[in-house]
Amino acid sequence: MKQAKSRSHSLSSRLPFKGAFLPLAMSLVEKGAEGFGYGRREAGGLVLAIEELFSFYARQATADSAIDVDLEDQGYRLALTLTFRMANPDLRAFNLTWNCSLDSEESLELLGPMLAARSVSSLRLDFGTDDQVVLRLARNRDYPPAADVPLPPGDLKSPLRLLEPSADDLRHFAAMAVAAGSPFLPGFLARPGMAADMLAAGHIGALLIEQDSWIRGGVLWHPLTGSCLELYGPYIFGPDADAQGVTLLLDAAVARISRSPYRGLVRRQGVLAGFERFFDFLGELHLRRGDAAIRSTCYYRQLKEESSGTVYCAEPLASFLDKQYDRLCLPRQIRQAGSDPARLRDGSVLAVELEHERSLAILRPLCAGKDMAANLTAHLDMLRGEGIGNFLVELNTGRSEDTAFAAPLAETGFVPRLVIPDAGQGDLVVYDHPEPEGRV
Amino acid sequence: MNLEALIPEYVRGFQAYVPSKPDHLLMREYGASMLHRLNNNENPLGPPPAAARVIAAFPPERAAIYPSGDSYDLRQSLGARLGIAADRVLVGNGSCEVISSVIKAFCQPGDNIVTADKTFAVYEWVAEFSGIEARLTPLRDYAFDPQAMLDRIDRHTKILFVCNPNNPTGTYWTQRMLVDFLEQAGEDRIVVVDEAYREYIDDPEYPDTIGLMERFPNLVVFRTFSKMYALAGLRVGYLAGTEAVVEVVRRTSVAYSVNVQAQQAALAALEDDREHIAATRTLVREGMRLVVDACRDLELETVGGAGNYLMIRTPINDMLMYRRLMKRGMMVRTMTGFRFPGWIRVTLREIPVMASFAAILAEEVHAIRNQRVPA
Repeated sequence: MKQAKSRSHSLSSRLPFKGAFLPLAMSLVEKGAEGFGYGRREAGGLVLAIEELFSFYARQATADSAIDVDLEDQGYRLALTLTFRMANPDLRAFNLTWNCSLDSEESLELLGPMLAARSVSSLRLDFGTDDQVVLRLARNRDYPPAADVPLPPGDLKSPLRLLEPSADDLRHFAAMAVAAGSPFLPGFLARPGMAADMLAAGHIGALLIEQDSWIRGGVLWHPLTGSCLELYGPYIFGPDADAQGVTLLLDAAVARISRSPYRGLVRRQGVLAGFERFFDFLGELHLRRGDAAIRSTCYYRQLKEESSGTVYCAEPLASFLDKQYDRLCLPRQIRQAGSDPARLRDGSVLAVELEHERSLAILRPLCAGKDMAANLTAHLDMLRGEGIGNFLVELNTGRSEDTAFAAPLAETGFVPRLVIPDAGQGDLVVYDHPEPEGRV
Repeated sequence: MNLEALIPEYVRGFQAYVPSKPDHLLMREYGASMLHRLNNNENPLGPPPAAARVIAAFPPERAAIYPSGDSYDLRQSLGARLGIAADRVLVGNGSCEVISSVIKAFCQPGDNIVTADKTFAVYEWVAEFSGIEARLTPLRDYAFDPQAMLDRIDRHTKILFVCNPNNPTGTYWTQRMLVDFLEQAGEDRIVVVDEAYREYIDDPEYPDTIGLMERFPNLVVFRTFSKMYALAGLRVGYLAGTEAVVEVVRRTSVAYSVNVQAQQAALAALEDDREHIAATRTLVREGMRLVVDACRDLELETVGGAGNYLMIRTPINDMLMYRRLMKRGMMVRTMTGFRFPGWIRVTLREIPVMASFAAILAEEVHAIRNQRVPA
């Protein structure tokens, strides 16, 4: 899987970070999206986002500062990146729970970023050195759902054969995965056109197996973070004697990605028989599907031999990590964190990713603050109100802004379940939030 | 500074190789009281006695003087040993440097090289970070597949790399197989045969590559002083080819890259290698027998042949097995990076170390098999 930024599908501009240049920035995104062939509805979210974000942060920018606007057509989505320098940017409105009050002037001011955050398919916030702030926004193309396709008959006899899929092959495979009712389908597989475009853009990797000209299964991988890939599958259509299909796909997939820049490979799709040859067992997340309690099993494998690091954190996280590192034979040094809660900023910020199909919200700390416990509680309450029943938090052990959340997470009922090594700036600790008995 | 804009596309997506840390750090991180390196196929006997004496007697004042820029004396000696003119030999800072020189000499973006997918990675890496396509062919029965390689040749193919014997599987082509391959590959491209482990082989069927150069002037051979000669820490490798080919490769080679102590030690090693090679072969043969027997008792599949290494299929993923063995003071090479997930490669060393390894491996395997499987 090689991602390449094609210069013929991107445009970049550096503008003075002043309100007077807002129309130019909006026009750049609007006309650029149009030039790349996106419809008004698809481009509209990004135009709204840049309008709100540009005008909000231009007011806080110093007189001589500039903003870089990069727009890239990635085939299946339009990606907008805004880069600027700001010492203490106000990020509170990115919280999903931000409520606008018509009585509060400050609240009204923060309405802009909130609208921006909700008008795009994804939003990511990164902080670089020298007060650099990078806002990455993307709006997916609109894709139709999968059409019904036939599944292979059960009496195929010829040997299974690996197939390097074309975009069309993958589109058909995705439709088959939907038709087979495969559990744990990621969103991009549920929209076969999107999966095909992502493959063409190099944003996912895939291998299929075929038998007698029928696609019999496949496996896909996609970056979970900058250092870790997530594996989806293997999906097998029909019987798989002696797990031949699964073994063929996993051997080939791991061999294929073993010389990639990624450090690890994680699989979060439930139990996989005979996993030991391919994966380490990480743990189980306690989730609910309707009224039923389910356990989501997570596996992992390193892709590089070298893995070490130092984690600064406090109890109760330190004990949990110590146990996990020992079980996984991972060389890590855990040191006591010495942060002073009084020096935290007032407002914490959480990013939220929603998976409506699984009734799941994944919360990721962006900034620590004095209100962390209250902010977590507010997110839980609001998301429950929107019908979400499962909550995960991903906490990055390499960021002190993240580990500061450990105590508030425990306070609000989150339980650390597993560690994904080297999955971020350090390891990624995944918490779930088991509901009290009787509550669904 | 927009650093990203300066970086060529083919370098942008490439990740730097991360070598393993020094032993004292690894021991501390894994809590191991000792560490046996079974990961780099080094020779535990050390260099031949004459080379060891040269290293021990190296006068510090010589460090102030530049070495011979083209390893003059060493090339003379190698030429005499191989029965060819010294100008047909090019010495480099390990064979990795000569790999890079050959690719730079013959390839430009748009060209390609052909090699196997499960072999020494440096041919592929150097090609890729130089903007050259690396065409990879699957092994057949753990060996380079000549037909698969020939099938991938097109008019942009400049070099075919054959690792003989193959690292990590230990398989090798015979003279007959290599001649067939050279005949079919034609003269319009370079064929490199990497013989890093040739001194471990005592088989009359093993190719006489130097002899074949008269008939196949596009044939280039790589050899090294890092493995059998135990000079890995000094980094000396070389290539041999026809005068015309070597003259071209010399254009893209860095002069003065081989230090003076390395040149002197390699020269001495060549002149005192008979008993050293015999002793090393005996050590490897005995180590191989011990580990293969131990693996058979544990019902673990092995793949090995030529070379001082053996591949072992592990009951758990190779990365976790690596970490478990590191905690016990045994550093092996995981095979995920060689596209053999679920295998480790073990350097064959002296019997006490191999016995210790076999015992620790057995304990780990029994512990793994006895533990309750989660999920």
